[in-house]
Amino acid sequence: MKDPFILFWAALIVGSVLWYGFLVFYVGIKAGRDIIQMIAALKRDHAASDRR
Amino acid sequence: MSLTPLDWLIIVLYLAGCMVAGLWMRRYVRGVEEFAVAGREMDVNLGIASLAATELGLVTIMYTAQLGFEKGLAGASVGVIMAFAFWFVGRTGFIIGPLRTAGVMTIPELFEKRFNVRVRWLAGLFVVLGGLLNMGIFLRLGGEFLVWATGMPPSWLEWVMTILLGLVLLYTALGGMLSVLVTDYLQFLVMGIGIVITSVLVLVNVGGLDLIASLQAAWQGQAGMKLNAHPFNPFHESSLGTGYLLWMVLCQLAAATTWQTVISRVLAAKDAATAKAMYRRTSFYFVGRFLLPGLWGAAAFVYFAQQGGLPEGTTSLTAMPQYLGALLPVGIIGIVIAAMLAAEMSTDSGYMLTWATVIYNDLISPCLKRPLSPSGRLLLTRLLVLGIGVFLLFYGLWYEMPGNAWDYLAVTGNIYLASVFTLLVAGLYWKRATARGAYAALILGAIGPITFLLIGKQYSIPPEVAGAAAFGLAALGMIAGSLLSPRPANQA
Repeated sequence: MKDPFILFWAALIVGSVLWYGFLVFYVGIKAGRDIIQMIAALKRDHAASDRR
Repeated sequence: MSLTPLDWLIIVLYLAGCMVAGLWMRRYVRGVEEFAVAGREMDVNLGIASLAATELGLVTIMYTAQLGFEKGLAGASVGVIMAFAFWFVGRTGFIIGPLRTAGVMTIPELFEKRFNVRVRWLAGLFVVLGGLLNMGIFLRLGGEFLVWATGMPPSWLEWVMTILLGLVLLYTALGGMLSVLVTDYLQFLVMGIGIVITSVLVLVNVGGLDLIASLQAAWQGQAGMKLNAHPFNPFHESSLGTGYLLWMVLCQLAAATTWQTVISRVLAAKDAATAKAMYRRTSFYFVGRFLLPGLWGAAAFVYFAQQGGLPEGTTSLTAMPQYLGALLPVGIIGIVIAAMLAAEMSTDSGYMLTWATVIYNDLISPCLKRPLSPSGRLLLTRLLVLGIGVFLLFYGLWYEMPGNAWDYLAVTGNIYLASVFTLLVAGLYWKRATARGAYAALILGAIGPITFLLIGKQYSIPPEVAGAAAFGLAALGMIAGSLLSPRPANQA
């Protein structure tokens, strides 16, 4: 059990599960906001090109 | 395990949500710039969600689980190397910084600026050839997962694949990158939840310490099935081995900087700093991309070893979905199937859009005497997306892989990774590089991987030999070809 490779993979498995959970929560909120801002920017660009 | 009405409800709700969101974005597409690179309005967190969703497909889950089944947790070493490659590129801006600053829509477009239009066309051809062959097995492997995890009749596989591809084609062809980004976001959420739930359930089912003890016993030949590779040490000669891992370092560095579906997110980013931040923050994700499905594959090995061996008809590729079908309870399997559909759809949409953009931008556009109208360009790109979808259906049904799925994907990707990586490094960082060197690098870089695909099975050519030879030959071609030709005009 004290094989360094086993400890390495065990730590990475725990880290990956926690990281995926965090990413879904944190990036989920932030990326949702990014989408709203992206649509707003596209609308602005379209309105500007229509005026030209 | 067959799906209950609750499972079907979860799956249908997910699919309906995706379709509505994807089709909704169509209204914001006015030209190729919005269709191909989302008007370059993508910010960093949406970039992370999109990159993560696109680069983790159902095909990824299948081949990483197969690596876990055949090589234990050591099979996930490729993911650790990939994470380092992405972090290094995000930290230094190696290649992606100058590439984003150049303001191009595809990698070959940069080669016209640096070399000439013929180099752009030839590079575009290799990018498309490697990319489409690579993507050719996606649908087949995705369909295999669904058949084995849900217990549906195998004869349904082609129909399920066709319907799934039809749904993806509909929103990708209409909304382009804008639809892809928004559906990627939804798919990222569903996929992430599904992967976390499945990993926790697998760990609870087999027990972390029991899994380690069982893999060790199987490696020592004291279990129901013999594990032929060291389950924890990737450097062990029975496992991946040092030569293979060194090839992977080169391969993953090249993939992080030249794989067009990844680079399309760089080119859609607001600026180079956003692209670099996206790489750094996504890097650790790639460890889990290999390790968590690899854990499911290793757990499937232990499960079947305890049963005395694999049932008839089950292979190392289909063992994991069959194990999950037996493990996951009602409701949860609905969420996991929705998550796997999300993984498949986000990857298919991103890949089809990327290769269609390269075909239009780098193969067709340079050959036109007069440029098409904006609406003509948009229509042609949409038709190319549909054409790629049809190709995928037919190629996925008849091609038989030489070896395991990961080696096939790595070698087909290598058709252009080695040559285009060499062109990018030389083009951006070596002023003496010439068009003649670029031709030599492109052609020599593709020889190794194509040889592996055609005769690799008959002559037992190891994938790392074919892959590493491609990088060596491409570099040799670039250096010799450039030094044997006159200096570039701005260097004379």
